[in-house]
Amino acid sequence: MSKKEIDMLSVLQSKFEGTSVQVRPEQLGKAEVIADASTHRDVLKAMLEADEKTAVIAITGIDLGATIGVFYHIRTSETGIITIKVEVPKEEPQIKTITDLMPGATFDEMEVNDLLGVVFEGNPSLGRLVLPDNWPDGVYPLRKDAKLDNLQFKPTPPSEPEPAGNENIVKVIVGPQHPALLEPEKFVLKVEGEIVKDVEPRIGYVHRGIEKATESRTYLQDVYLVERICGICNACHASCFVETVEKILKTEVPPRAKYIRTVLLELNRLHSHLLTLGHAGLEIGFETLFQYFWRDREPIMDITEIISGNRVISSGMTVGGVRRDINEADIPKIKGRLTDLKKKLPFYKNVYEDEPSIKMRMKNVGTLKREDALKLCIVGPTARGSGVDIDVRKDEPYEAYGEIPFKLITYNEGDTWARMNVRMDEVEESINIIEYALDNLPAGPFRVRVPRVVIAGEAVSRVEAPRGELFYYLKSNGTAYPERVKVRTPTFANIPAFLATAIGSSIADVPPNFVSLDPCFSCTDR
Amino acid sequence: MSKLATWARLKSPWVLHFNSGACNGCDIEVVALLTPRYDVERFGIKLEPSPRHADVLLVTGSVTQQCAERLKRIYDQMPEPKFVVAIGACACSGGVFKGNYNVLNGVDQVIPVNAYIPGCPPKPEAIIDGVVKLLNSLKPEKPAKGEKKK
Repeated sequence: MSKKEIDMLSVLQSKFEGTSVQVRPEQLGKAEVIADASTHRDVLKAMLEADEKTAVIAITGIDLGATIGVFYHIRTSETGIITIKVEVPKEEPQIKTITDLMPGATFDEMEVNDLLGVVFEGNPSLGRLVLPDNWPDGVYPLRKDAKLDNLQFKPTPPSEPEPAGNENIVKVIVGPQHPALLEPEKFVLKVEGEIVKDVEPRIGYVHRGIEKATESRTYLQDVYLVERICGICNACHASCFVETVEKILKTEVPPRAKYIRTVLLELNRLHSHLLTLGHAGLEIGFETLFQYFWRDREPIMDITEIISGNRVISSGMTVGGVRRDINEADIPKIKGRLTDLKKKLPFYKNVYEDEPSIKMRMKNVGTLKREDALKLCIVGPTARGSGVDIDVRKDEPYEAYGEIPFKLITYNEGDTWARMNVRMDEVEESINIIEYALDNLPAGPFRVRVPRVVIAGEAVSRVEAPRGELFYYLKSNGTAYPERVKVRTPTFANIPAFLATAIGSSIADVPPNFVSLDPCFSCTDR
Repeated sequence: MSKLATWARLKSPWVLHFNSGACNGCDIEVVALLTPRYDVERFGIKLEPSPRHADVLLVTGSVTQQCAERLKRIYDQMPEPKFVVAIGACACSGGVFKGNYNVLNGVDQVIPVNAYIPGCPPKPEAIIDGVVKLLNSLKPEKPAKGEKKK
């Protein structure tokens, strides 16, 4: 790893020596590259040539006063994030698209366009992404000078008759309220016979403007706010946020806190994976499996309640450590529940591997090839089901993951079955991680005091949430309030995978395929 | 006839769940109600996918701009008499998202609400308790002793 690490930076340094592009190692994660609107594509091209695993994690748009910063956060096969920084003038914010090089960045560009008004030349799909349809034109909420009081919303236009098109194409509208979707999102499936020809997603029904809201709350308040971006992977959001703050403050978190955080993060993964494994059963009409999984998920909620006092949102993380210690007397109770669950796993594993109805509905459904997964910047179990071995816990260990042994699970089939089996195997790994962490819980304090006011700086942080890589970018300005918080959630990165696999498949295969990506739209919209 | 309808409604209310911009925390607790540990079907409560068949609307979330109109439409599609339960701090008042540019601070800004269940998220027991309280409030008052039945 360390040999390769020198490679990418030296490749960039030698390639762009003497040009206006500056490579600054050790800034903002691994390195930052200062480019401008004419060179940012060259930097990305050079990185893609050097490493096939180069992928855009996120594009942060940030109001820098006179200019708007467009930051491309990029991961490679090495540890650490490289950020390409570009600034565009505020009066005429225009920049060339990178979607031809990196199709996975389409939605990232759309979001920056929607929230900050940056026009990406050459991106064909710019339009409303997260803001509502009746949002007033010309108001960009993430700009500092945006006036968001007394917004004049546009009246809802009367629905227009559909333009006459191909008569064989039927539109199937799924959502916003739909029994198969727990969350309000809309997908228009264009179907010819049984075959899906096109999918039009409309997300943004759960957009609550959290990124903007973080700027008017203190860092401590923000921990509770970002936790409520998603009720399922709440600990992941909170821990990723506090990590960025700790990186700026250069706080060393006590080892006991790191282990307790790891336990909370893995509990999140356990309950989320069990939830999805059951939900997939529901989608293929296997309701017994749904009830079984949800029954065995309850002990995990109990453990979260024992540790944190709440079943769902644990509120365990805080800047500098955790809020509550694990009581030694509770450890046997926790372990007993985990042992019980572990005993049941071979049965479930057998169901997911060999049950004929599961194989019929999931094998060769929604196959995503490895090359496509890389090109579309797919993350998490979805990528691992396609044979891409990315896992932040291994690639850039955080909390106590560097010290805990566990296996990275990958399957090569790339279909729905493989994605669900990745989760099935990860459930067992998660239990092992929690047991190891509880056995080796270091003594000592569980939090350290930190100042309320955070010095100016910026940091990036990644956490492997149940659905994949969760990314935070934080810029502080020396006050008690953050300047900008950017959140890129795993489902946001995985929507292209759904679009790619659903088109061309049978409409009956859409629900299992969709669930196997484990979509979470409250994360996606924020 | 109305007596019969009330009796049926009390014994087996069909509920519709709508997420109007929640974080999923309340939603997984609503789903947990249907699963073996809480199993509200033993009270005759059944989750119903269509608004046209539902008696009670369970709303979670702080109601985003994009969802507001849809929520109103779903409410209008439900047959009378209908009841609305706001689940979670967000649905009651906006919760942590109160004041954000894209939220309307609670379900009662859009449609009338019959019962509020606070909590972030409320435990399944609390949701059951809230729905049962709502049902009890619908019970026709028993005639006092000596009074003739109407």
